[in-house]
Formats: sequence, C-alpha cells, structure tokens
Amino acid sequence: MSAEAGEVRGDEPAPPLAPAPFGPAPYTPSAPPEGMQRQRLHPLTPLLESVRFLTAAAAAVGIQMFTSRNFLFAVYAAVAAAVVGGIASLIALQFRGFVIWGRELHIYGGVFTRSHRTVPLDRLQSVDLVRPLRARVFGLAQLNIEVAGGDGTDARLAYLKHDRALELRSELLSIAGRPGAAPRAENLEASAEEVSEGPAPLVPPVTVRKLALASLLEALPVQVTALLIFGTAFTVIGSIFGFTKVATALWFGFLAPALLGYVQSTVATVNRFLRNCRFRITRDGGNLLIERGLTDTSHETVPVDRVTAVSFDEPILWRRKDWRRVEVWTAAVAQASGSVVRSTTALPVGEPTEVATVAAQAVPELPSVFAVERPPRRARWRMPLRWKRTGAGLDEKVFVVRHGWWVNTHVAVPYARIQSVRVVQGPIQRLQGLATVHAMTAGGIGHTARAAHRDVGEAVAMAAELRKRADAAAALEAPRLS
Amino acid sequence: MNASAVPVWDLWPDGISWQPMSPKLRTVWVLRSLLNVLILAVIAAVPLTIWLGWDGLLWTLAGYVLLACLRALAVSRTVRTWGYAERDQDLLVRHGLLTRRLSIVPYGRIQLIDLSAGPIERMFGLTTVQVRTAALGSTTEVPGLDPQVAAALRDRLAVRAAEVREGL
Repeated sequence: MSAEAGEVRGDEPAPPLAPAPFGPAPYTPSAPPEGMQRQRLHPLTPLLESVRFLTAAAAAVGIQMFTSRNFLFAVYAAVAAAVVGGIASLIALQFRGFVIWGRELHIYGGVFTRSHRTVPLDRLQSVDLVRPLRARVFGLAQLNIEVAGGDGTDARLAYLKHDRALELRSELLSIAGRPGAAPRAENLEASAEEVSEGPAPLVPPVTVRKLALASLLEALPVQVTALLIFGTAFTVIGSIFGFTKVATALWFGFLAPALLGYVQSTVATVNRFLRNCRFRITRDGGNLLIERGLTDTSHETVPVDRVTAVSFDEPILWRRKDWRRVEVWTAAVAQASGSVVRSTTALPVGEPTEVATVAAQAVPELPSVFAVERPPRRARWRMPLRWKRTGAGLDEKVFVVRHGWWVNTHVAVPYARIQSVRVVQGPIQRLQGLATVHAMTAGGIGHTARAAHRDVGEAVAMAAELRKRADAAAALEAPRLS
Repeated sequence: MNASAVPVWDLWPDGISWQPMSPKLRTVWVLRSLLNVLILAVIAAVPLTIWLGWDGLLWTLAGYVLLACLRALAVSRTVRTWGYAERDQDLLVRHGLLTRRLSIVPYGRIQLIDLSAGPIERMFGLTTVQVRTAALGSTTEVPGLDPQVAAALRDRLAVRAAEVREGL
C-alpha cells in the first residue's frame, strides 16, 4: 500500500487526453441576427393557456350573477375580460415566437421575464405532436421537442395550427437529419385525417372493442379483490361493533382513504383506455412512430437504436386469450417525466403474432417468446404464488427476466444495453444460499432487470456471463456519445 | 447451511485479488457511528429527563454506552467486508455484512467519477471515489482510500473509460 502511494504523487502529470470524440464536430451556439423575422404562434395561444383561469373566473362570475341577480354584472365582466385579455394577448404575442436559424431552433417567450431558449437540432431526440382537447376544438396542436441530455424541461411550441405543426415537425426532423422526416415532407398539406397515410402500420389497428375488453379484463381481478376486501372489512367491523359510531370512525379513518385509492385506480384505468384508443404504430426509418388517443391525440417517436429494454406484460385474465402488451423502455422517457412514466406503450394489447412483429421492430431479431428458468425450489415459500411465473434466462441476444403474479412481465434487455451488474444477497437469502442479480440499464430507477432468488453460484456465474456478453455485444456496435 | 458461510463474492469464477480499504477507515466509521448515536441520545435525553427527573440522564447514558458498543462492533465488522478490484474490463466493489452486495461497473459505461471527503474523513485524510453510470440510482462507492490512491484510481478509471467507450 505504502509503496504504491509513494509511486503516485499528487503532482504527477495528467493522463494523456482521450482521442478526439466520435461523431460530428461539437456544437457551438450562435445567435440569430436581431432583425430576423420571428415566426408567430397562433393568436389563440394566450387564451388556451389561461383556459383554467378563465374557467375559474367564469364560474366565479356566474355564481356572483345568480346570487345577486345582477345580470349586467356578467356583461360588464365579459366586456372587461375581452378588452383586457385581448390587449394582453396582443402584447404577449409580440414577444413570443420562434426562429429556425441554421441548425438551431430559437424559442422566445415572456413579457416581463424574457426567455430565449436555444435548441440544438443536432441533438434532437424526438418531436412529438400533442393535441390536448382544448386545442383540438380550435384545430390546433402543440409540439414537444426532446433533446438528448434534457432535464425534463424540454422545449414546447404551443400552439400552432395542426397542419403547420406537422410541417414544422418534418422540417425540424429533416434539419436534424432524421430519416423519419422524409416521407412526411411529401404530404405537407395533409389535414388531420390524411396524416394517417404514409407508411403502413405494423399491426392492424386495435379495435375499440378489443381494447375495452382488454382493459376490463386487466382491471377486473384487482377491482373484484378490492371490493371483496372492502365489503368483508365493512361487514366484519359492522357486525362486531354494530353500525355505530365506532364503525363510522373506523370507516372514515381507515376505509375511506382506501376507497379513494380504489376510485383513483378506476379513473387511471379509464384514462389509460382513452389514451390507447385509436392506437397506431408505424416504422419510419430508424424510428417507431406511435399515434394514439381519443380525447388527447399524441404522437410519440421512439428511436429504435435507443431502446434499452422491451417488456411484455400479461395480466392474469389475459392468459387464456394469449394477449400481451408490449412496452418499450428508453432512457429519454425516464428522464423527461421522472418516475411516473417508465416506458412507452408500443402495443396496448395484441395476439402473439402481433406481439412478435412489434418486438422484432423494437429490437432487431428480438423473439417474443422466451425460455426462462425458475429459481430453485427452496425459494418457493418466499413467493408461493409468483414462483411458477418467475425466472431468468440468458437468451442469445437478450437477458430475460420474468416476474409478477397479477401482471406477469417478461423484461428483455439487449446485452449491449446493460450498464452495470449487481449481485445482492439479503440475510435470509444467505441462509438459503440464494442471491438476486440486477442488470441496470440507462434511465430511471425502475430501469433494472432483476433476476430474483437464483442459486448463489448460478447468480455469480450469471453476473460474470452478463458482463462478458455485454462487452462482446457492445464491441460489435459503433460507439455513440449521446 | 454451508453456503451461508461463504460470502457471495468469493464464488466468482476467476480468482480476484481484492484491494482492501485504508486501515483508518474503521476508525472513521466507528467515530461517525458514535456521533450518530450521540445525536440520538441527546434527542432521547430530553423526554427521559422530564419523565424520570435526573435519573433519566443516567438511563440515557447507559443506553448510549450499550448502543454505541453494539454499533461500533457492527461497523468495525462491516468495514472488513469492503473491498474493490480492478479487472481488465470492469471495476468490482463488494461490501455488506448482513446484505451482501457485489457491484460490477464496466469501464466503458462510466459517465462520472467523483472524489468526495466528509469532515471526519478529511481529519483522517481519507477520500471516497464515486462512480456513476447512465443508470440513475446506481452510484458505486469506493470509500476510505488514501488521497493519492484515490486520485490514482480516478485517473486510471478515467483513462480506461475514455479508451473503451460504450453507448447507453
């Protein structure tokens, strides 16, 4: 130790520099000239952005009107709002806008606090077209622009006319050199309906009936169980204490919050159903384009070479139908929205053949059916229900883990995407001679493939093998910086 | 069972030569745990004194001595489980007494290397090397190195990370 410390002094010369970075020359920001004509957002933008405030104000005025029976007041309020709002909007619009200058997009905003955001288009990850309901009413759309290394506050262009937004999207993508732009450029004048043309969808559209049935089947077991628990608890408490004050107190203290959670999960299910309606997935060069939504239409772009893992979910009642859902993990999604969204749905529900098609598009040559090996039998008491449906396997190109009882999930991580590997052994696992292997991929904390409760020797061998294969797979790929 | 006696990292197929941490690390961590228990004791002393009068202070003292001894024992045993090894392609770090962890970080995936030192660590001249990859929440730490060893380790890691560059 001391010998080594003696050799290495604090003032030793710095190590030689690494060779020049791969890829294009580094990005240097520049500002467009002052007099450059800015492109304006749609005049209705301020109105739409303050729609919540306006609704609240209208409600307040309405209440005031009905309580005081003073209808003139409403007229005055409306006139005042129109004048003030109109002037404010006009002023605000003067300062907002965007400029495409060279390989950058400059976005200006703010009246009192001016903001100027520069988006380097070289590092463009994706441009998503989103249409919230309030914007759809006026035929408007919003562009969400995601840049590599973004911290979640990605750039937003809202609101634009729908066809203008489509045009701008393809323009941005073509400046960024993304192949996804090419086919779009042809139908510039495409209206909302015609957009659905272009490349053929990978899978036939999911019918509303199928999606509704799938959502129902997914939610049903959870709902039934929750209702059963509530019912039993209520009856038991009621019969013991009588339906008196004690029961009421317990009800409010304990069961009502649980019921709230139950309502929330129901709402979430309905929301998910609405979001996945009219689902359409197409392959466009190196990107998967996803278009979905009944009330809020959203377009998502998943660059295939950035997919870190693919997961296949199978809720308990889908088993008989052999349906599965495909989710795609990317590092960008996790960064943009924290821990809420872990993945992009690449197929809300599908037959085995459809699942296989989508899987093969998301990761080249990815199979959709995997052979996994269960943990040893001595681990069974730790997960009596899940044990049969848990496992891990080293496939040819991917590391596969399987887990979950309510929703049985296969997670497939390509070896080249594995960041670091960890073997963890808890105290009880130690007594049993078991260990858990974690394979981490880029992105959020949830992005870990976990092979639970393997035999300890197997776990260590698996970790070593994962490292070996990850190196081999990464060596085959061209290095990337972003 | 027999397997429980062998730590998980000793089952690694090829032999690894583990580097130990600095011997001063034990002192540092024992001191730190004593300090932590002391803060706990001070917090506990207030209600105990109000409740039992001056006897409460004695009770706190007794509790502190007992807890501190146990904690110091546990910590000094934990320190011995820490170790790191540099292989051709990756850095291995092992630690943990009850829950045993073995982290393997490939050089090509390293994004950031931090050196840090807390106040007690600084008093004893120790440094912690933190290695981050693109996977969030997977910081790998190598605590308790002499500053020269830490700086040298960082430089070696940085050079290796620049040589073998793998993507996300």
